[in-house]
Amino acid sequence: MIVKSINARSTLTTTKMLAGCLLVLNLLSLLSLYSSLHLAGEFKSGAILYRQIVWVVASWIFLIIFAIINYRLYYDFGYIFYGFNILLLIAVFAFGSKAMGAQRWINFIGFKFQPSELCKIAAIFVFARLFSGDRRGPLLQFLLPLGLASLMALLIFKQPDLGTSLIIVFLFFAIGISSKVSKRYFIALILAGLIAAPFAWGMLKNYQRKRLVVFVNPDVDPLGAGYTIIQSKIAIGSGRIFGKGFLSGTQNQFNFLPERHTDFIFTVVAEEWGFVGGLFLLIVYWLILYNILNIARSAKDDFARLLALGIGSLFFLHIFINIGMTLGILPVVGLPLIFMSYGGSNLLINFVLMGILINISRQA
Amino acid sequence: MDENFTRRVYLGGFLILVFSLFYYQVIKGDYYLSRAKNNYVRAIPIRSIRGQILDRNAVALARDRAAYNIAVIPYQIIKNKDAAFGKIADFLGVDLKSIKRNYKRGVTGMFSPVDVVTDVDKKEALTLKEKYPTDITINSQPQRYYPYSYECSHILGYVKSASAFYDDLKKYGYTPLERAGFSGLEQYYDVYLKGEDGGDLIEVDSVGRTVGFLGKRKPTKGKDIYITIDSRIQNIIHRHIKNRRGTVIVMNSDTGEIISLVSSPSYDANQFIVGRGVGKFFTDSNKPLLNRAIQATYPLGSTFKPIMATAGLEEMKITPFTPFMCNGSLKLGRARFRCWSTHGKQDLYRALAHSCNVYFYNLGLILEADAISLWAKRFHLDALTEIDLPYEKKGFVPSEGWKRSEMNTAWYGGDTVNFSIGQGFMEGSPIALLVAINAFAVNGYIVKPYLLKSVGGIESRLVERVNIGIPRKTLDVVRKGIKMVVHSPSGTARKLKGLGLGISGKTGTAQTNGKSHGWFAGFFEYNKTKYSFCVFLENSGSSHFAVDLSYDFLKELKEKKLL
Repeated sequence: MIVKSINARSTLTTTKMLAGCLLVLNLLSLLSLYSSLHLAGEFKSGAILYRQIVWVVASWIFLIIFAIINYRLYYDFGYIFYGFNILLLIAVFAFGSKAMGAQRWINFIGFKFQPSELCKIAAIFVFARLFSGDRRGPLLQFLLPLGLASLMALLIFKQPDLGTSLIIVFLFFAIGISSKVSKRYFIALILAGLIAAPFAWGMLKNYQRKRLVVFVNPDVDPLGAGYTIIQSKIAIGSGRIFGKGFLSGTQNQFNFLPERHTDFIFTVVAEEWGFVGGLFLLIVYWLILYNILNIARSAKDDFARLLALGIGSLFFLHIFINIGMTLGILPVVGLPLIFMSYGGSNLLINFVLMGILINISRQA
Repeated sequence: MDENFTRRVYLGGFLILVFSLFYYQVIKGDYYLSRAKNNYVRAIPIRSIRGQILDRNAVALARDRAAYNIAVIPYQIIKNKDAAFGKIADFLGVDLKSIKRNYKRGVTGMFSPVDVVTDVDKKEALTLKEKYPTDITINSQPQRYYPYSYECSHILGYVKSASAFYDDLKKYGYTPLERAGFSGLEQYYDVYLKGEDGGDLIEVDSVGRTVGFLGKRKPTKGKDIYITIDSRIQNIIHRHIKNRRGTVIVMNSDTGEIISLVSSPSYDANQFIVGRGVGKFFTDSNKPLLNRAIQATYPLGSTFKPIMATAGLEEMKITPFTPFMCNGSLKLGRARFRCWSTHGKQDLYRALAHSCNVYFYNLGLILEADAISLWAKRFHLDALTEIDLPYEKKGFVPSEGWKRSEMNTAWYGGDTVNFSIGQGFMEGSPIALLVAINAFAVNGYIVKPYLLKSVGGIESRLVERVNIGIPRKTLDVVRKGIKMVVHSPSGTARKLKGLGLGISGKTGTAQTNGKSHGWFAGFFEYNKTKYSFCVFLENSGSSHFAVDLSYDFLKELKEKKLL
């Protein structure tokens, strides 16, 4: 009885903490978005801001719905969902519309739809199911998830969307290493990967290769691909300790940075609120991850534990890669900053994942 | 391994981020701040010239001319914005609000000039610049100009800045400030017409002075296109139809070249370019923006009868001499379907010449609805003509099955009767009717109409036609009948005989809920060229008006030796 009541209380605080963090992020996101929509002191586009507000409201509704749905559902329907996503990826080749040379969207009754977003979730579901439980031998518990991961990553890579396909691979490792499967398999796989790396270089598209070269040395191409990295660093660096103040980021306002309301939203925060603001944002993110780890630890079963860890790792990867990219310590791969970047479908999906986490913690 | 390992990984990642952030913002912060101040690279766009649209005699119908815009550079005026705007407004006598609105809409960066007043007289612009040299700059840009704006706007369309519908255009590589064609040929052949903007890439310091020149890209001019329109004919026809609702299309029967396509009322494309006074075109109940020739469908009325005649002959239901008696109406059940006169005994030739409804009611009842549908479709009345203009509207041909499944009622004899004189559910666009009637002019070919003659000196060769397989004998019978429409003393279009052009054709008075539409569609050969034409007057009351209009413009064209 006593144990149960403690659990209930900690569940409640976890939920409250996560909800609080999300509210703070919503607010910060909308403020940064509002700022990024200014040009030379003039507010340019209300529509984008209003649309995002609508998405935020919708996302909260979805969070509540998914907090109620029993997570065991994902155990039962994980494979079907995975198969559905594979079909969608194939459909993108058949009916997809091209955006900036990459075939990532399909039009579904008027809605633009990016299947690779859902793929990340499908991957987490199947990995969590296959890796969970006791040892059942390498074939079922290692080679099968490896095969499913490779198939999905390859299809996404072909779109081409290098960022997301790498995330699928990372999720495979993140969930696998936390499971009871022998670590030797993973180490062997990494070694094999290192040997194969030079061959993978040949498979990359030209622009992807260029990004990697420019990442190593941005001054190779200061007005082309290196431009973004240089401008991003200047925007962040010039914010110094306390920032230039809300709506006063010159780099932001002078339109030096393309995509600053989507993938480069962090530069807006760092320029206007400085190191203090950037650190604050990272602390909020850390609180979320910390709570997710707690949820994983107290989860009712192994599937739930791996599911929570998978979602946590997905969040971590997005935060690390996106901010790392704006800081110039990782190549530009085009991933949004979760809960911050403009864009409805990404926000909604992350809120759905949060809902799933809350359900896991409620059942602990 | 468990959560602790994962936590360590997360923590490591976050520490790397915090450390990097600390490095860039705290340790190197001053360095980046100074770089931010000196890092003002800006691109000054140089607009490209759009290709001209010229008619078949090389008369320019759409071309670029220089427009002088008053622009401000946000960086130079940001401190005393309102004072600067006030000065401009006072000097030019323009509304201060519109200046502010243009500024707000046009700002793209601290150093990119923003046009606040467009299309100013050159002299005025220069005087203003002399008076306030630091506040304003003169921005001379190519602007689209249509010399025959009202006459040709339905063919040409107009251009808009791509930002107006940027979401749709950016995937095709447009930049927001570029001009893109909107409706008409400007839209259809935008790929040819649009050039590529160039620009200067310069480096400026924190006070906006140019400190370095990084590069230049020259703009490329778009390609000129020649179209099949003869603007002299276009202008004459426009003058004749100007104050009425309707359309006139003239086409070369053999090739499908559109020589004239006028839709009335029309609109002034130049007003869309300067963005002033266009509201009236949207609110006018006469719908001047609608291209009635291709974007609207109407009941075809008696102009459908030549197709009925073909159906009757080909389905072997009648011979040219099969008689039907016209007592002024046909009784079907309890309903009575009227003819417009009492014609007495009619064979096919006379029925066409007199446009006798009772004859075709009887023919329709023998043929039955589905055979009529089949023949209407064979003449492509339910298909797009695929003319090279955007937003063409498809016609509609009903059938028994359609009515049963879509309207949930049976097809009645009365429906067949209406169908056989081009009334009821069937509708077609004037261009589709023209193409159908043209089939009689060119021995049973459906010819695809087109407007593009050549691009950059290369002929378009758009001529395309399909044979719909009607034997010469049948064609000759129908041709004789529709020649009598004009040349028989009692023909419904006998007025046209006086032109001496040897016209064949068919009149039509299509009943509507309001006043009837007037139609005439026909063809003739003159100076070894075959012309087909279609005249449509919306709610004009009767086909007489369409015949009169045909007479008037053809007479003038013949007198001025334009045919």
